Amino acid sequence: MMKYLMASCLEATMLMAKKEEGKISFREKLSLMMHTSMCSLCRRFQKQTAVIGSEAKHVHAEGDQLSVSTREKIEKILDVNN
Amino acid sequence: MDGLAALTLQNNSTFDSIIQASDFFIFTSKLVDGMEKKLTSADPKKWLEQYGNLLLQYTLPRVNDRELAEDLVQETFLSALKGLSGYKGEASEKNWIFAILKNKIIDHYRKKAASREILELPNLNEGQEDWFDETGTWVPQRAPHDWHDADNPLERKELQKIINWCKKNLKILQQQVFTLKYMEDLESEEICKVLNITTSNYWVLIHRARLQMRDCVEKSFLKI
Repeated sequence: MMKYLMASCLEATMLMAKKEEGKISFREKLSLMMHTSMCSLCRRFQKQTAVIGSEAKHVHAEGDQLSVSTREKIEKILDVNN
Repeated sequence: MDGLAALTLQNNSTFDSIIQASDFFIFTSKLVDGMEKKLTSADPKKWLEQYGNLLLQYTLPRVNDRELAEDLVQETFLSALKGLSGYKGEASEKNWIFAILKNKIIDHYRKKAASREILELPNLNEGQEDWFDETGTWVPQRAPHDWHDADNPLERKELQKIINWCKKNLKILQQQVFTLKYMEDLESEEICKVLNITTSNYWVLIHRARLQMRDCVEKSFLKI
């Protein structure tokens, strides 16, 4: 019975991705909750993955600059020098 | 244009925080931008200085190709100039231009997917066994270890660099799914359309990408 209701770590980590997008059924939600309430490894996975997801949005190539040739092309497009 | 405007609104916060994450100068100029927004109209001659490098810095980690990134920035300015009459000033000029760039980036992925070989699609039945045993439980060596929280700006920046580095180690489709979902903030339906993959492909790809990314970040982040 428990085995039927409760997700494994493999299933739980998969369900977390679905939950993140709201694509999770009631039954799936329940089995995920039961699993994470008892599994600290999966709770940790959930937390760390959420951090990666939110920091990924801010990734940018700090300090990188357009090459001179691209700048010149853009200057022409935007008619900067006239 | 409606689609563009919606995209812009949805992603305002992302750009804002990228800007805040950079330096004080840009932050203050953003404030000034905000104040002047209502007084001045768009000025294309200033775009290159104002947005050129910012657009490039945004694009580079999202396409992993310098030449392509520079082309996309150039095309963005061209499209912005052509679409200038359609710019109603509802979004800030910066967000409007970034929305155009984002569409260019997504278009690039769409084109890439159209020319992809069918063989590159993932085998749905392999991969996860690296992390889990036959009962679906974490294999001890691959199970998540505790990290310290990246709570100050420097650590967050470091974490972002590591995320970018780890992303490059993902298999190509996983990388594309990760980029579109987590860096471009697209919904799964749209990602499936853009990359021309099925929903079940998508869930397997995103699941593996998450497992792989967490693993890689853990190994790199703990070394700092």
